[in-house]
Amino acid sequence: MSADGNKLNADAPLLEVENLHVEFDTYGGTVEAVRGVDFTVEQGQTLAIVGESGCGKSVTVQSIMGLIPMPPGRITAGSARLRGHEVLGRNRIDGKEIRGREIGMIFQDPMTSLNPTMSIGAQIAEPLQVHRGYSATDAFAEAVHLLEMSKIPEAAKRARQYPFEFSGGMLQRAMIAMAISCKPSILIADEPTTALDVTIQAQILDLMQDLQKETGMAIILITHDLGVVARMADEVAVMYAGRVVEHGSADDVFYRSAHPYTVGLKEAMPTNDPALQHELKPIEGSPPDLFAPPRGCGYCARCPHAMQVCDVQPPSDHFLHDHHFSRCWLHHEQAPIKPETIYFKDAKA
Amino acid sequence: MLSYILKRLAQGILTVWFIATATFFAMHNVPGDPLTNDRAMTDITRANLEAKYGLDQPITTQYLIFLRNLSRGDFGISFVQENREVNDIIREHFPVSAILGVLAVIFAATGGVLFGALTALYRNRFPDYLIMFLVIMGISVPSFVVAALSQLSLVTFNNLIGFTVLPVAGWGTILHMLVPALVLGLSTMAYLTRLMRSSMLEVTSSDYVRTAKSKGVPATRIFTRHQLRNAILPVVTVLGPAIAAITTGGFVVELVFAIPGLGRYFVEAVQQLDYTVIMGTTVFYGAFLVFMVIIVDVVYGLIDPRVRMET
Amino acid sequence: MSELSASSFAPIEAHQQTQVISRPSLSYWQDAWIRLKANKRALVSLYIVIGLLLFTIAGPLVWQVDPAIQDIEQISQPPGTDRGATIVPDYEPWFSTQGLPGSGLRLAEPANSQTVRMQWDALPGANGHRVYRNLFPVGSELAYGIPLAEFLNNDTLYFEDRLDLQPGRFYYSVVALDARGQITDQYQSLTVDLERVTTLQEALERGLIDTADNIQIGDEIELAWHPLGTDYLGRDLLARLMAGARVSLFIGIGAPFLFVLFGVVYGSAAGFMGGRADQLMMRFADFVVALPFLLFMILFKIAFGIGPGESGVFPMLVAMVVLLWPATARLVRGQILQIREQGYISASQLLGANTSYLIMRHMIPNTLGVVLVTVTFAIPSAIFTEAFLSFIGMGVAPPTPSWGSMSNEGIKTMLTTPHELFFPALFISFTVLAFNLLGDGLRDALDARMRNVE
Repeated sequence: MSADGNKLNADAPLLEVENLHVEFDTYGGTVEAVRGVDFTVEQGQTLAIVGESGCGKSVTVQSIMGLIPMPPGRITAGSARLRGHEVLGRNRIDGKEIRGREIGMIFQDPMTSLNPTMSIGAQIAEPLQVHRGYSATDAFAEAVHLLEMSKIPEAAKRARQYPFEFSGGMLQRAMIAMAISCKPSILIADEPTTALDVTIQAQILDLMQDLQKETGMAIILITHDLGVVARMADEVAVMYAGRVVEHGSADDVFYRSAHPYTVGLKEAMPTNDPALQHELKPIEGSPPDLFAPPRGCGYCARCPHAMQVCDVQPPSDHFLHDHHFSRCWLHHEQAPIKPETIYFKDAKA
Repeated sequence: MLSYILKRLAQGILTVWFIATATFFAMHNVPGDPLTNDRAMTDITRANLEAKYGLDQPITTQYLIFLRNLSRGDFGISFVQENREVNDIIREHFPVSAILGVLAVIFAATGGVLFGALTALYRNRFPDYLIMFLVIMGISVPSFVVAALSQLSLVTFNNLIGFTVLPVAGWGTILHMLVPALVLGLSTMAYLTRLMRSSMLEVTSSDYVRTAKSKGVPATRIFTRHQLRNAILPVVTVLGPAIAAITTGGFVVELVFAIPGLGRYFVEAVQQLDYTVIMGTTVFYGAFLVFMVIIVDVVYGLIDPRVRMET
Repeated sequence: MSELSASSFAPIEAHQQTQVISRPSLSYWQDAWIRLKANKRALVSLYIVIGLLLFTIAGPLVWQVDPAIQDIEQISQPPGTDRGATIVPDYEPWFSTQGLPGSGLRLAEPANSQTVRMQWDALPGANGHRVYRNLFPVGSELAYGIPLAEFLNNDTLYFEDRLDLQPGRFYYSVVALDARGQITDQYQSLTVDLERVTTLQEALERGLIDTADNIQIGDEIELAWHPLGTDYLGRDLLARLMAGARVSLFIGIGAPFLFVLFGVVYGSAAGFMGGRADQLMMRFADFVVALPFLLFMILFKIAFGIGPGESGVFPMLVAMVVLLWPATARLVRGQILQIREQGYISASQLLGANTSYLIMRHMIPNTLGVVLVTVTFAIPSAIFTEAFLSFIGMGVAPPTPSWGSMSNEGIKTMLTTPHELFFPALFISFTVLAFNLLGDGLRDALDARMRNVE
């Protein structure tokens, strides 16, 4: 933490997450949902966190936001620093709430994420009243303006309506308006388009990009849809079984994939890029049960190139260059197969 | 909204007709002749009554006469207390039961919402355990035992301090009403507390409360603006049946505390086989409950925007 | 980086054993049973319920006392009272005014539970006397108790009390009457402690002793043992609680089973048929729900009529079934409609399943949990209803005992002998509590929504 406690440290990264560990107590035992996650987000950037269901991507961002129910949840280690200030487990900097003010968040299911008995306008106005001290009327007027910014027609009329009178896409726009009402520096979008029609998905993504351009905020986008990643992301973190297995720029991760899981994801994704066209190939098997996490690499059991060492010892970070890294034993100097031969076969460059 | 209320009223009238019909045929099945019940009755009275109720006619005619009288709001004349209209009896005794019932419902609803919210806030901590223990007691101990025990403790208390603060029995002042109303509302309060607690817990783990947290809304504001209003909805939906349970549950409390309410009168009428009073009271109670449920549903519509818009 | 042997980098041949699912796979009912066992309150409640059933069924075999027999020597006895009784000679009438010397109200002979003989001197200014007995001292309010006798002259200055005498303390008063026979404030009091006595003949008749040999006047024998005491007619409370349990639990468990069964049949029929028939059937159910429940229970009771010697248990059972089925019917119909829309039903139909297979394999198993929970919660309310009706005298007819009617009798003597209310009320409360907690446990255990919550 900086000595000058009253100001955010402008030199420190916007958001820096280090070695995050989260566990849940359940009937069946303790689930290690997140097992050491690191990433950094800079202003104006879009970081996509990719992975299949249950890999810990939602839990990661919810811990940063202090939304993990405790108990049964528990953050066992790690830190998350906003401009150098620790926010993990306290959600405040110098006594000021960061949620809704510094970080806004939207969720997967807009249908259930809005209060059914409160008008849309009142819900959008709420952060303004709480954080900015707006009067109810001023906040409502601003809410109408925010709805207009989110491209909702007849915003003044719509603001007085209730969630059940909105369609899913409209609700997600309202959610976005609500999340950005206090001009946060980060918008966390937890699978924002998963519950929506494909035609609406593109509109929501466009809206997020437009707003990012206007406000310069960073976006953390949680998704399992590589198409969304390709469209939005500057940086990509691929998560598997509670860990980040590959991290790099979108180009690095897409065209110079350095982890068998990333390769597997890509092979399972349809594409209309003729250079990349291939037969769709599913990843066989299922992710490990995090009640008893595997000793070695989590992907070992499904990996076509698994070696003896993968089963017993977790791989460490192998930086390919600058900030593109992969956690895979194939990068070890003793590994018999050269990763370039299998990983970069799709590379255009 | 208006058309919704009208529709519900029409349904309500149909329901009252069903209740009246069921009452008529149940009473018709009672063994014995209503007019030969060891009661001295002049031939003229007897003939008059027979003519009035068509007792010498076939049952369908009697039924039609009954319905015709009913539609005029005429429940007839008591068989036991001659020259006393059932309407008079209801007019005299029902307000007592109604005041008692309203007080009890107020106790039950406010107590249930308050304690339910408290237990949810202090989940798995001392206040939760204490209140839920009392709730389990309130649900498990029969109302007549609670009534008897509270009467006993009132006697002891009044003896202890040497003068009567809260009267042990009878009716008249607000002091007479407090303890019986509390006893009457107790089990419903316990039930509503449980309901409110689980509803509150469900709301607490809902997506929209998570959204409110992600907006940085302080806990107290989340509680008042988001949790309370949504959690009360299921409680409001059961208020109709709760009112029914409380008004009919009034029998015991009226008996134990010697309160001159309609419930106690009904029990007496049954013991004396006072046909018109039994039928009149039953239909009246049934109609009262039907319309209470309609009122509760309309109020629910005012709270929940989803229902308000649909109707 | 630590050195690793070359063999570490040999490829894994086959992926055997690398994917282990560490959670055991459980069927719905296995899972529910594990959850129920983990719930201590529900488990204790289950034991209480089993205990109650044993009490009802096996109890009368162990405690073979007729619940109808009156032990007139032990009326309204709390549990744990001294059961000793002294043998005294058979009763002989008393005419004498001769007694112990002394003044004021005094005993003419030592008093016992057979008879109390007293005499007094004429009170000043009295034209006659009235004798009272009370369970409490007279006190400043001049509460004399119940009047026993009145003498409108000053000749009779003695009295014998044989009315309903019980071992314990009594307060006798004799009050002076004025010329018009009104009481004055002149009175005298006497405190008498009664010892329990019985005669040889009575002891033989009641089977307290086998033979009169070896037993002398003045010997002490033991009266019959009543573990939970006796009621106001001297009937054994434990035996009556067992007999009452049969009635209360028969109604409490029988009625819910019947009306839930009817509700299930009605509701699933409506759910299956759908359309117009469904609407009509559910509208009828709405009507029945609107009937004011307790009033109609009473109405049905008088409509059925209870003949002499009948207990009124059967009419109550029928009335409950007639009035209470719609809630279950609604619930089951809702479940059926919901299940019908589920993907697995369509999948099953596509695979060629016929209706009876769908019912047996999908509908019944998926509604059984809800129905089971409904029954468990219906039991305490049925027990309450029986108790409530019997309490206001509209339930089972005396002398058939039920916990409710026993409470009704007990409440009248609540101040003097609270055990007569305490035990039946305790049994009702415990039973209701146990079934409620068991219902909670079952609901939590069977609630499919909770199964996969982290």
